[in-house]
Amino acid sequence: MSGATVIESIASIPSLLAAADAGPATVAGDGSSFWWTMFIPLLPLVAAALCLVQMWVGEKSKLPAWTTVATLAGAFVITLIGFINWQSGFASVTQVIEIYEWIRLSWGEGAGQSFVANFGFYMDGLSWLWMLFVTALATMIALYASEYMQGDPGYPRFFAAFCLFVFSMSCLVMGDNLVLLYLGWEGVGLCSYMLIGYFFRKPEAVAAAKKAFIVNRIGDLGLALGLYLAFTVFGSIEYSEIFRLIDEGIAADGTALSEMWQTWAIPLLLMVGAFGKSAQLPLYVWLPDAMEGPTPVSALIHAATMVTAGVYLVARFFPLFVFPDVPHYALWTVAWVGTLTAFFAATIGMAQYDIKRIMAYSTVSQLGYMFAGLGVLTSAGAVFHVFTHAFFKALLFLACGAVMHGFAGQLDLRRLSGLWSMKGWRIVSVTMLVGCLNLAGFPLITSGYFSKDMILAEAFVTPGGQIIGWILLLTAGMTAYYTFRVFFRVFVGPEHAEPGDDDHGSHDDHADDHAHDEAHADHGHGFHPHAPGWAINTVLVVLAICTFLAIPTYFIQKDDKGWVGSLVHESTAYYHSPYGHHKSDTGDKDAEAVSLAPAQPTTVLIADPPHGAHASEHAHGGTFLGYDPHKAMYYVSAVVGFIGILLAAWFHGPRGIAGLFIGGRTEAATCRMDGVASKLGPLPKWAENKWYVDEFYDLVFVKPLYVLGHIFHMIDKLIVDGIVNLFGSLPRATAGGIRPSQSGVLQSYATGMAVGVGVLLLLVWVVTS
Amino acid sequence: MTATLLASMGETGIGALTLYHYLFVSAALFGIGVVGFLSRRNLIIMFLCTEMMFQAAGLALIGFGKYHLNHTGEVFVIFVLTIAAAEAALALALVVLLFRRKESLDASDWASLRG
Amino acid sequence: MDAIVSPILLYLCLAIAGIGSVLALPRQKISPQLIGGAIAVLGFGLALVLIGLRSVPETLSDGAANPFAGDRPNPFFYVFALIAIGSALRVISHPRPVYSALYFILTILSSASMYLLVGAEFLAFALIIIYAGAILITYLFVIMLATQAPSEDEIGELSEYDASAREPLVAVLAGFLLLAVIAGQFSIGVTQVYRRELGRADASLIAEIPAKVDRAFERRGVYAGLGRMELGELADGLRVNPDRVSLVVSNEAAFAQSLTDERVSELMPAAVIDAVPRGGIVAGSIVSVQVPNDARADNLDGVGWWLIARHPMALEIAGVVLLMAMLGAVVLARRQVDLGEEEKIRALRTLADEVERSS
Repeated sequence: MSGATVIESIASIPSLLAAADAGPATVAGDGSSFWWTMFIPLLPLVAAALCLVQMWVGEKSKLPAWTTVATLAGAFVITLIGFINWQSGFASVTQVIEIYEWIRLSWGEGAGQSFVANFGFYMDGLSWLWMLFVTALATMIALYASEYMQGDPGYPRFFAAFCLFVFSMSCLVMGDNLVLLYLGWEGVGLCSYMLIGYFFRKPEAVAAAKKAFIVNRIGDLGLALGLYLAFTVFGSIEYSEIFRLIDEGIAADGTALSEMWQTWAIPLLLMVGAFGKSAQLPLYVWLPDAMEGPTPVSALIHAATMVTAGVYLVARFFPLFVFPDVPHYALWTVAWVGTLTAFFAATIGMAQYDIKRIMAYSTVSQLGYMFAGLGVLTSAGAVFHVFTHAFFKALLFLACGAVMHGFAGQLDLRRLSGLWSMKGWRIVSVTMLVGCLNLAGFPLITSGYFSKDMILAEAFVTPGGQIIGWILLLTAGMTAYYTFRVFFRVFVGPEHAEPGDDDHGSHDDHADDHAHDEAHADHGHGFHPHAPGWAINTVLVVLAICTFLAIPTYFIQKDDKGWVGSLVHESTAYYHSPYGHHKSDTGDKDAEAVSLAPAQPTTVLIADPPHGAHASEHAHGGTFLGYDPHKAMYYVSAVVGFIGILLAAWFHGPRGIAGLFIGGRTEAATCRMDGVASKLGPLPKWAENKWYVDEFYDLVFVKPLYVLGHIFHMIDKLIVDGIVNLFGSLPRATAGGIRPSQSGVLQSYATGMAVGVGVLLLLVWVVTS
Repeated sequence: MTATLLASMGETGIGALTLYHYLFVSAALFGIGVVGFLSRRNLIIMFLCTEMMFQAAGLALIGFGKYHLNHTGEVFVIFVLTIAAAEAALALALVVLLFRRKESLDASDWASLRG
Repeated sequence: MDAIVSPILLYLCLAIAGIGSVLALPRQKISPQLIGGAIAVLGFGLALVLIGLRSVPETLSDGAANPFAGDRPNPFFYVFALIAIGSALRVISHPRPVYSALYFILTILSSASMYLLVGAEFLAFALIIIYAGAILITYLFVIMLATQAPSEDEIGELSEYDASAREPLVAVLAGFLLLAVIAGQFSIGVTQVYRRELGRADASLIAEIPAKVDRAFERRGVYAGLGRMELGELADGLRVNPDRVSLVVSNEAAFAQSLTDERVSELMPAAVIDAVPRGGIVAGSIVSVQVPNDARADNLDGVGWWLIARHPMALEIAGVVLLMAMLGAVVLARRQVDLGEEEKIRALRTLADEVERSS
């Protein structure tokens, strides 16, 4: 959107508002008084434009960072105000805010004969929640990046892409139609590509960016097909219309949805898109490589926000996923793929040495948790996990980034040790500990514990989810192990640090420009790590506090499974599991809520167990070894987490902290695990090499495609180009042949003319007689 | 003898003349004009040959005019005469100019005009 | 429709003529112009004879009997046609431009004769006057103007471009291909050129020019005893019957007197002349008078009428073409005059003064 269009759209707000007032209210909420929410996406867009301008004028100062921080903070404040307004005035009402008419096509009068895509927002609990943590995290991470990216020649470029990302993410989340969703979806993909490939002089970064983009294309194909199919079924791409129809259980032409194959096909296709964007099996391979981008990007895009877009998509279309009386292939697939991804990524994460990469695999793993949560029907649990994970994973990444920043790109946990006791690194160490505890699910004092519990418990409750639950439980233990492996190796133990190859993973062509770079220009024993400054520390501390603040949200509005659950309740993602123990409490309320929020009626779902094989078990949920999973899981997962942490301490811990940790590691590079690993045969080696999935993909997909590409290239070059060139060379040859006839001698032209006329007349004669 | 001949020409006074007589002579003159235009190198002769082709056209027009029992053919011969006169005036002026430039009337000398 | 002549024979004749033409065109070294010319004329002559023999079929193409089936060939046409074709051949084959032009005049003259044969008298003489008299003389001027004056020893020498034709074979092939196609196509279904029919068609034209009849009557003294008619009435009468006009006897005695004049009496029907001595015709009787032959519409009237009344646009376009040609000739013939700076300034100043004065 250009600046002119922005101004134009601002100028035309009053008329648009009038139009919105006049139009029939398709949903309960008329959001026309919320027109100013358009500044949520608009401010980042303006900031992106400003950063671009600064890029062109070659701004060297930190101005782009402050522009970004200020506008993103503004966006956050607007989001907050909007949210509070919504909570107080429009609770349980979905607002559709039409900003301006973007696309309007029509080729007939009836349903499905027009195509309307407004630039409008569909603000329900889900959107508000997402926007809150997206803008909040974006603001903080921008602040962090202002210090982290200091001295980089692409400073304004970074922030331009950063702001564009926030804009795209807002479109994705807030958009009130599928086209805007798709715009945002592709927009975040593009920004992700640009930011992964930010250090474009580094071949790995370029390769990773391409990989991310191409793998995402596969998912996006599914999404696009899903959107087309949805349009053909519902005759509209506007959420309000689609969810109204789903609520009534009919398609645009009046056919019952339960009799249409599209009803189960659309979720499947949407799911493919979600798997691509959220790095699930088998499309997860891009995310670990995406760590080639600057760490703030990893924290914001590849941990907290963009990768949760898949979860958002599934949650947004949850009513379709759980639509009664049709096969639930998609839901089943989501559950199992999420579970297997969680487990699989955890196994890889246990054997990695690059701390950022470990965090990447843990992200994949946690995303798997979220999908598993959706699959076992606890959309509230999944979304709560998204919420808590956003904070603590951003925190973890930023802490890792601080380490990387300070140690010249060093990320190998074997070459770093004892940061806790190094000067200036205490804040990083403490916040890292907070993040690790969250990720490991340390009981009671971490938000990660509660969100993970919700998913685990629901897995055991849901019929058919027992195995899922056990795998997830095992994964929880593994998560705790590898998380604390990082912590014990890097932050405690003997002080040791080797600098990395370059300055925080970027190119080193600006090494001489800055004092701190000169300090470690002589790599080796003279190396002095530079501790993070105020911006990084502030952000880390704020994020750490945020992870704690997320805990109480679990306890308010307990009936709705916490504050996040209450937001989900007021969104399309709401689904009341018929197996949950809150059923009797809230059954009546749900029946009311159906008419207000376009959520799925509870009553219909009871008749339809999503995992069809267990039809006999419905109405009363499964148990955990005979106990109510919701209660038992508090203890079980706590124990599992403890075991994971203790194992990490045993294998990787330093010698004698409080006499409890008996790891006895005295060197940075060696630990007790090495001995154990050598007895496990090739398994650790395989895990370290990511189970050779990349190599497998390379062999099965990339290489054949490469060969195919070359074949097509040759076909293109020889046949297609040949034909095209023939059209060029044929006239040239012909012209070369007849060029001598242009002799300039008048009579030779006249001869041609005479012969021509003669032949023409002859032809006329022959033809007519 | 002449009297007999004239008497035998029939009531019409023109004997057995068909349109084709005129058209054939016209075609012959035209063909000869074309041959001359194509083969002679003198610019003036070439223009003379175009005049011959005009002449052939005039003959054909007269024949057709009489065949159709009206004077349109003759009117157009007048038109052709006008064109021929105009053409002669301009062409000859050009020929004179060209001759002044190269001191030659050879059409091939101007082959460089091909560009 | 059937062709008048067999195409095969026609093409054979044209092929002979073509061979002759190739030979007749001027060449540098051995130039059998005379033989070539003879062969070419023979070829064309054979073609003409062929046309003469086959031109009057017994039945027309639609099956009706040909009313002119018994007509003999018109020898003048064949003579003029041969002269025209032969001199045309000489035009293109003579190495000397002056002779070419003169032979072209011969072509014009024989063409004019062929115009005369079908009664296009005006055009025939116009052709001679304009073409032979004006255009060809201009050509002769230019030929003489644009030919370098030969030095003393070069008299009789030809310039190189006159001496030899350029690719005679190709030229003849192209030209005769065109000729064969045209001649072959024209030979289908064309019958007599109707001169007498044309005369009848012209007769009605007299209604448009009643003054001609009026003058003829006056000249002959027809009006002496007959009431004079207005030109409009005369035209109406001529429109009814171009051959005769009805007039009212105004003065019996004078009318009887005028009948004694042979010029008048020959226009009156015998019945009228017989009735007058018996006192049958009195004042007020209506008499039908024949339109005299010299008052009939002739070729000149026809051409004039058709040119002015039927095709005025052709006349105007011809005028514009002539004007443009005149302008073009002026521009082409104009000499470039280079003005000096001072002269230019002076001219501009004069112009400015004039503009000032006029405003």
